[in-house]
Formats: sequence, C-alpha cells, structure tokens
Amino acid sequence: MIKKATLLVMATLLFGSCVVVKEYEKINLNDPDMALSLKKCDGNLITAHAYREATVGANGGKTGGGCGCN
Amino acid sequence: MKKALNIFFCVSCVFASAQTDEDQAYKKRVLETTEVDFLSSYYAQKGDNAAVTGGIGTEELTDATAAIIISIPLNDDDVLTVNTSISAYTSASSSNGNPFDITGASTGRGEEDDDDDDDDDDDDDYNRTGNAVGTPWNASTGASKKDTWFSVGVDYAHSSEDRDFSWNASASFATEYDYTSVGFGGGILKQFNQKNTSIGASIHLYLDKWNPIYPTELKSYEEVNGNLTQGFFNGVTLLDQSGNTSTAWRPFYGFKPIENTARNSYAATFSFSQILSKNAQLSVFVDLLQQKGWLGNPLQRVYFGDVRNYYIGNAASIPVYTSKQNTDVFQLADDIERLPNTRFKTPFGMRLHYYLNENIVFRSYYRHYSDDWGIQSHTAQLEIPIKVANSLTLYPSFRYYTQTAATYFRPYEQALSSDKYYTSDYDLSSYSATQLGFGLNYTDIFTKAHIASFGLKSIDLKFYQYKRNTTFSSYILTAGITLVSD
Repeated sequence: MIKKATLLVMATLLFGSCVVVKEYEKINLNDPDMALSLKKCDGNLITAHAYREATVGANGGKTGGGCGCN
Repeated sequence: MKKALNIFFCVSCVFASAQTDEDQAYKKRVLETTEVDFLSSYYAQKGDNAAVTGGIGTEELTDATAAIIISIPLNDDDVLTVNTSISAYTSASSSNGNPFDITGASTGRGEEDDDDDDDDDDDDDYNRTGNAVGTPWNASTGASKKDTWFSVGVDYAHSSEDRDFSWNASASFATEYDYTSVGFGGGILKQFNQKNTSIGASIHLYLDKWNPIYPTELKSYEEVNGNLTQGFFNGVTLLDQSGNTSTAWRPFYGFKPIENTARNSYAATFSFSQILSKNAQLSVFVDLLQQKGWLGNPLQRVYFGDVRNYYIGNAASIPVYTSKQNTDVFQLADDIERLPNTRFKTPFGMRLHYYLNENIVFRSYYRHYSDDWGIQSHTAQLEIPIKVANSLTLYPSFRYYTQTAATYFRPYEQALSSDKYYTSDYDLSSYSATQLGFGLNYTDIFTKAHIASFGLKSIDLKFYQYKRNTTFSSYILTAGITLVSD
C-alpha cells in the first residue's frame, strides 16, 4: 500500500510540475465546490461513519480519538 | 541640489505611499469578517446485531446534534475558531447494558449509590429484580437509555504575509456518560509552485479515558463476590438452557473491572495537493494512527459457544431467543469484549475534483484503509454539485464502502472461551454498504437577509440514506446556516 501511495504521489508531482496555473486563471478552481477540504455541514456525517465503520481518517474528519467509536 | 533632494524626497514619499497602498490592496485578509455556523443533524439507525447484547438484538439509536462554530479574524493573518457541539441520543445499546428495566449496576446508580431522599421509584427498583424482564430485541427504559455528548474545540490559525505558509494549533475536550477526551494538535501547510502545489503535515494527540459502564449482571456479580442470592440477584430466578432453575452461572473469567481505563490516540497526517489544470485539482492524504489502552467497549457482551448458557426471564422464550419473538428472556453474559491494547491504522485517501462547466462539478473521493487488526476497507464516493440557479446548488451523491472483518470478530455464540481476544461488534465484521445522498445549498454572496448584525451567507440541507448488506440501515438529515458579521 505504501509503495502504491509513494508511486501515486511521485506521479502526481511529475504530472503537476508540467502545469502551472496562474492566479488569474483559477476562477474555476476557486469555485466553493472545488475546495479540497471537508465541508463544515458534512462534519456530522463523517462522525457517524467514524462511529459505525471500522475505518477512520484520511478524510479530514475524526482520527479515532475524542469518542468511544471504532 | 536642494531642489533635487526635495523632488527625490517627494517622489520617494509618493512611491512609498503607493507601494503601501498597493500592498494593502493586494493583501487579502484570511477571513474578512466573523463567521458563525449553526449546524444540526438528526441521525437514526436500526439493525439486528447489537454489540451490547452479544451480536444479536436491536441496534436502534437516534441522535440529535447541534453545533455552533464561530470563526473570528483576529487580524489580517490570524483566525480563532471555537467549535461547541452537543449531542443528545437515545440508544438501545446503552440502555441494554441493563436490559431488565431496573436501576442496576450498568447505570452506575445501583443500590449503594441511590442514597437520595426522594420518593421516586428508583429507590425500590433494585429489589424488583424478581420481576425482571429483559430481551435483546427491545430497548429497556432504564436510566441509561438517554444520554448527552458534549464537546468544545478551539483552533488558532496563522498565515504568513504571502499566504504561502500557515500553521495552526488546536485543543479539544469532549465528554459523555462513560467517556472523556482531551485532545491537542497542530499542523503546518506550505504552498509553492505559484500556489499550484501544497504540502501539509499535522499531528493530533487524544488522551481519552473510559468511565467504564459494564453489563449489569457482570458488574453485580463482582459487587456481591459471586453470591447469587444477594444484591441484584436477590429474588431473581436464573435459568439454564433447558429452562430449569440454576445457580451455576458464572462469568467465565469471574469478571473484574478493567484497571487501565486510558485510551490514547496519536495521529500524524500528511497531505499533498496539486492543481492539475484550470479545471482539475487533486489532493492525497495519508494518516498514521496509533491507539493504545482499552480499545474495546466495556459495555459490549460476548457469549462463548463452548460454555453453558444461562438466562433471566421466561423459560418458554429460550428456544426463540435469537428471534424477535423473544420478548421476555435475556441471556447472561459470559464476558465483555476483549481486544488488543494497541491498534495501528493506515488510511490513505485522495480527492479529485473536476470543474466540468459553470453548472456542474465532479467531486470524487477514494480511501484505502488497513490496520493491524486485520481490517482492510475501501471507500469510494462521488458527489456532483449541480448549479440550477445563481444561488441554488443541488448535491446528489453516492458512496460505496466495504470492509473485511477484524481478526477477533465472532458472531453471537461463536467466540470460544479459549480465545484471547473476541468481540461480537458487527461494526468490526465484514460487510459492504451503500449510501445515497441528496442536498441543496442556497448561497447569497451579498448577504441581503439579516439576523441582528449578521448577514445570511448560506443555507445547507442534506439527507443521506445508508444501508449495509446486513440488517443495518441508517439515515441522517443535516442542516447548516452560515452567518457573517456586517
């Protein structure tokens, strides 16, 4: 898994290094729905998943602490 | 010469002034004004595999949560965020710690604690176990049926002048009837490549503590030193598998309260994001999560398949114990769940967002997860925001989730007394689940509507229906309102 992740990050870096989008070209990227962060209104949904699923993390939500969840 | 110096001085002043004005004009505040988010949700679930009753029984639970998040710009570069949340829930799981509808040990308010002077029925409940009736298929009406979870978190964030670097520090506190948590964290984020690339790292530490609540029969057994004619067991008829009266029931290990009630979590998160084109960007997250301490839930029963079963209630219902026809007999626990005191988790996730046109955006997410308890999972989600008007966006979404079982998971009556670790918590079983969601967002960038000195910026409403390939299903309705100060 770690090998795959490393390869993916390296591929992304290589791919990304070919493209530089200027600030004035980011109008579409600045759309609120393009934000890569977790939306505040989805916080309780993420928490519900953390309680009911064995999986947590890598989503901007809980990472296993702060509750008696899995 | 003097004239030249004067001209130079004037030009310098004008230039300096212009520079200052220009800098100020281009230095955008991290947060323009104070923002207040009111968030609420209502969650309900049902299922037939309750962990508190050993893997069978009702999983009914409802939860109503309200939260207020206040973000305050302290200056151009610093933002303080305070997040307060309260959650009230009713749960068959917590109530069936004591399924006999009496005030017993599982509530932490047994006979020895009930020294109040009121004349309510609680004072007599402990002696009414002779009429004890319980079933895993109904939530008891005991005091632990309802409870409240409260949390508060504070986050301080600072951004550099050029906005290419930021750091934050946070602290949190949360408490509920059997659990307390104190958390600390911090992180850094660096942007470069003309803000096309960013790399972040953060750490979080949670110092949690159980206030253990045990299945009432186990806690009572320990309180009366195994004398089944005293305390909770006084006047109660215990039955064996054949329905005959018996006093042979014993928790397999005699039962002792857990000694180390700490449960600490250490999380390190690494993130990378990259703009791929004018319409696409991607982020990757890797978490390294280590947990130590009591990682099971002390309220969750386990029944061994290789020891005799004992019950309280109606002997005639024992043959139908595992069906919903059973309304009046309850099986006494062999033990609580036992799990290793360490767990290492490695989730890896990525988001890819693509701006198709001014009306449609694709938001995709994938996560792979594995841990040293033998669980592996995959999560895939697609949300497609569709702008149907200037201020209105719809949010249809689909999510698929699948996981393998923990090495220590055993269904009802399938754990063995020779096992070292065991749990009948179906949240740790093998299953897959789908989630359908639909939401809408109203945004008014001009904040024309006002509440006191705050303008209404946005309203979010979302509904998600979640279903496993088992009997478990749930839904959640969320609502959010964002206000900004004038």
